[in-house]
Amino acid sequence: MTTILVVEDEPEIRRFLRASLGAEGYRVVEAENARRGAIDAGAHKPDLAIVDLALPDLDGKELIRQIRGWSSMPIVVLSARNQERSKIDALDAGADDYITKPFGVGELLARVRAALRHAVRSPTGQPLSLGEARVDLEKRRAWRGTTEIHMTAIEFRLLTCLAKHLDMVVTQKQLLAEVWGPTHVEDTHYLRVYMKQLRDKLEADPVRPKYLLTETGVGYRLVADDT
Amino acid sequence: MRGYAWAFAATAACTAAGMAMRGRFDLVNIAMVYLLAVVIVALRYSRGPAIATTVLSVAAFDFLFVPPQGAFSIDDLQYLLTFAIMLAVGLIIAGLKDSLRRQAAAQAQLNLQTETERIRSALLASISHDLRTPLAVMSGASSSLAERGERMSAEERGALARSVFDQAREMSAHVDKVLQMTRLEAGAIELDRDWDSLGEIAGAVLRRLADHAASHRIVVDLADDLPLLRVDAALIDQVLANLLENALRHTPPGTVVQLRARRIDSEVVVSVEDFGPGLPDEAIERLFDKFHRASVEGSTAGLGLGLSICRAIVRLHGGRVWAERVSGGGLAFRFTLPVEPEPSLPAELATL
Repeated sequence: MTTILVVEDEPEIRRFLRASLGAEGYRVVEAENARRGAIDAGAHKPDLAIVDLALPDLDGKELIRQIRGWSSMPIVVLSARNQERSKIDALDAGADDYITKPFGVGELLARVRAALRHAVRSPTGQPLSLGEARVDLEKRRAWRGTTEIHMTAIEFRLLTCLAKHLDMVVTQKQLLAEVWGPTHVEDTHYLRVYMKQLRDKLEADPVRPKYLLTETGVGYRLVADDT
Repeated sequence: MRGYAWAFAATAACTAAGMAMRGRFDLVNIAMVYLLAVVIVALRYSRGPAIATTVLSVAAFDFLFVPPQGAFSIDDLQYLLTFAIMLAVGLIIAGLKDSLRRQAAAQAQLNLQTETERIRSALLASISHDLRTPLAVMSGASSSLAERGERMSAEERGALARSVFDQAREMSAHVDKVLQMTRLEAGAIELDRDWDSLGEIAGAVLRRLADHAASHRIVVDLADDLPLLRVDAALIDQVLANLLENALRHTPPGTVVQLRARRIDSEVVVSVEDFGPGLPDEAIERLFDKFHRASVEGSTAGLGLGLSICRAIVRLHGGRVWAERVSGGGLAFRFTLPVEPEPSLPAELATL
């Protein structure tokens, strides 16, 4: 049975998380503060942790760092609106994704499923299916319909980096460091230019992308059709 | 300090005048000239300079005009009286002046309080309307579910639960706006600027509003040559979302809402145009008032804060925002963002 650790100080929020995650068949372990959360993370070895960023005893991102010290379990953080900075900090501290309060349970379950899927399934060699477009990252080839399209080396690297975290958000800093190197983490304009190129090549309507999504002020998220 | 300089200058001027009058006028009239100096200084400045003028005047008068000239001697009771009267006049006038100034300050303070009070009551009125309605729906629907749920069909239960969810979202958006406006007004928001693409920001907004926007057709027309902008993307996202939501809310379902952006000289002009009923010119001018909304106490939700938030954010970015009528009767909201020289682009290395 899949176990989910919920670290959240508000009892009412824990209540509905317990109810909806329980109804989906997950076993839920609850912790009301970061200290308890760190202990439960060790004792119950959950498959995934949901961590509120505003905990009474310790900043949520400190707890994420502690857990990351010994575990690679997926971590989804709960954060308040208009707090892009704290989301980025949590993601850079090792969280895998975030969800903004207030949220609906549909959104939450989608994030949880994506994070769990990602944890058990290492990236397959299967081509990415993005609507009309298909990209084989291993062979570095891409098609639109039946026509092969040209993608540059950097475009492939950017897409590969996003595909490693399929369905999950990747911060701008992570992308810049991985694709252009650690000296370029401030060069966000690189990302804007290359994301536009990727969308122009792969999206049916580049202004309203369905696969290469922008998380404004935070980063990017690649989603793909199920294959 | 300036008051004392004036005390000195006024005394010197009176002394010069007194010298010119000597011989032709009585000493008592020369004393009157000094009294005039005391009055003027007392009127313009505070008590201190008035006393200084009195002392300087009496000293100068006594030394230069009262016999024996060139020496201080106030043996004559008359001139002591002159001194006392001058001092009294100076103090009375300075006192009147001070109390006038205090009254003016109190009045200004009162005006400010009235204005603050007005804004606060407008805020409270709009909060109570825009938050109470969803609260009433939520408590009604959720108590029905909790107490009578088992007697309802699954469909009814679903509809009630859904309306609690919808209203909560709506309320949350209102609260966010109130908080955002408060922060903007307090100057507590610092721009986190970065090179960003308007197209990307718009894409994220449109995705978020997709459900909400299903009732209308949103046409996006962004010029191909739009430069990257140095903006706080999260805030520009709010501006676009507020303008689009506004257009969706105030125009009939099925109509078109257009999002356009063009580069014009050293600015990018972004427009959200609708094909709704539009507004008369006077109303357009008042649109950006803090708590204005097009139909007061109407069923259309919204604190009317959205547009003032837009204005504050655009101004922080060094842009302008305005509304105008478009041919066909609808409204256009436009804002500008300054274009800065773009940084150099990465050269793709052949070896990668």
